[in-house]
Amino acid sequence: MADLSAWIEATWISKALFGISWLWPASESLHFIGLCMLIGGAGLLDLRLMGMFRGLAIRHVKTMMPWAIGGFVLNAVTGTLFLVMQPHLYLSSGIFWSKIAFLVLAGANALFFETRLAVPALAMSPDADTPAAMKVVGALSLLSWFAVLYCGRMLPYLGTGN
Amino acid sequence: MAFFHRLQDSAFTEWFLGSPSIWAYPTVLTLHTVGMAILVGASFVINLRVLQGSGVMPLQRLRPLYRFIWFGFTINLLSGLVLFVTEAADRVVDPVFYVKMGSIAVALWLALVLKRRTIDRADGPQVATVLSRSLAALSLSLWTIAIVAGRLMAYVK
Repeated sequence: MADLSAWIEATWISKALFGISWLWPASESLHFIGLCMLIGGAGLLDLRLMGMFRGLAIRHVKTMMPWAIGGFVLNAVTGTLFLVMQPHLYLSSGIFWSKIAFLVLAGANALFFETRLAVPALAMSPDADTPAAMKVVGALSLLSWFAVLYCGRMLPYLGTGN
Repeated sequence: MAFFHRLQDSAFTEWFLGSPSIWAYPTVLTLHTVGMAILVGASFVINLRVLQGSGVMPLQRLRPLYRFIWFGFTINLLSGLVLFVTEAADRVVDPVFYVKMGSIAVALWLALVLKRRTIDRADGPQVATVLSRSLAALSLSLWTIAIVAGRLMAYVK
């Protein structure tokens, strides 16, 4: 990983991006705004899947998903910028790979919902309680997104790579 | 001013910023980010729904989101106080700090105004008025300013 980091840092794109002094702090701000969009939009759906917010139909809560996906894309882009600018901080860091693992878990969980549970979920009445499988998916999603946040915010303190 | 210097130079500050323990500064900072995600996340959803005007989600059913707003705000008020104390003398002369505090104060006030105007109307119309939509847009901008100001404070010492 150290070799990979050194290779990325030697590329002209890494040097050019890191040379733009405002790009890092600007990306940090966007990364924070994106996480609020993601946790706000996806979090409401997760809580509804867990059985809270009766009176809101799941198909209606999903109207917030474009914002959640927008937040995710914003953070994927800014996160990639951090990675390209300073790969050594991340690629050799255990906590960074934990963050990636929770991202994969959140993604797999969302994919499971979309392929196995979305059809019955979207047909449910606004006041209906959710079956156990949806409650588990909602809780797992909420847990994994906050774990992603935790790993990201704690990364400088739990250990960057060298 | 002497008071803020006493806070910033206190034994607590020395321990809090100097401790190698992840339970000191890193955990309080992370709590501040978790609180932000809950507070601003919930507020974003309300504002975006109001901005939809005649959206499909019944506005009144978003009322429980206010519990999350106050929960997130409480986390951030407490963690923010600790963070402030340890940088008190730097922050009281930092204009960016006042921009952040002002934005948050107005955004929270707007959250209450929008609650009264839309969400508390149990049998009210599901279409947010132009004024409500403008206030929601303003609220979104203020949260964005508060976040950017908060991030920039890390660069102003």
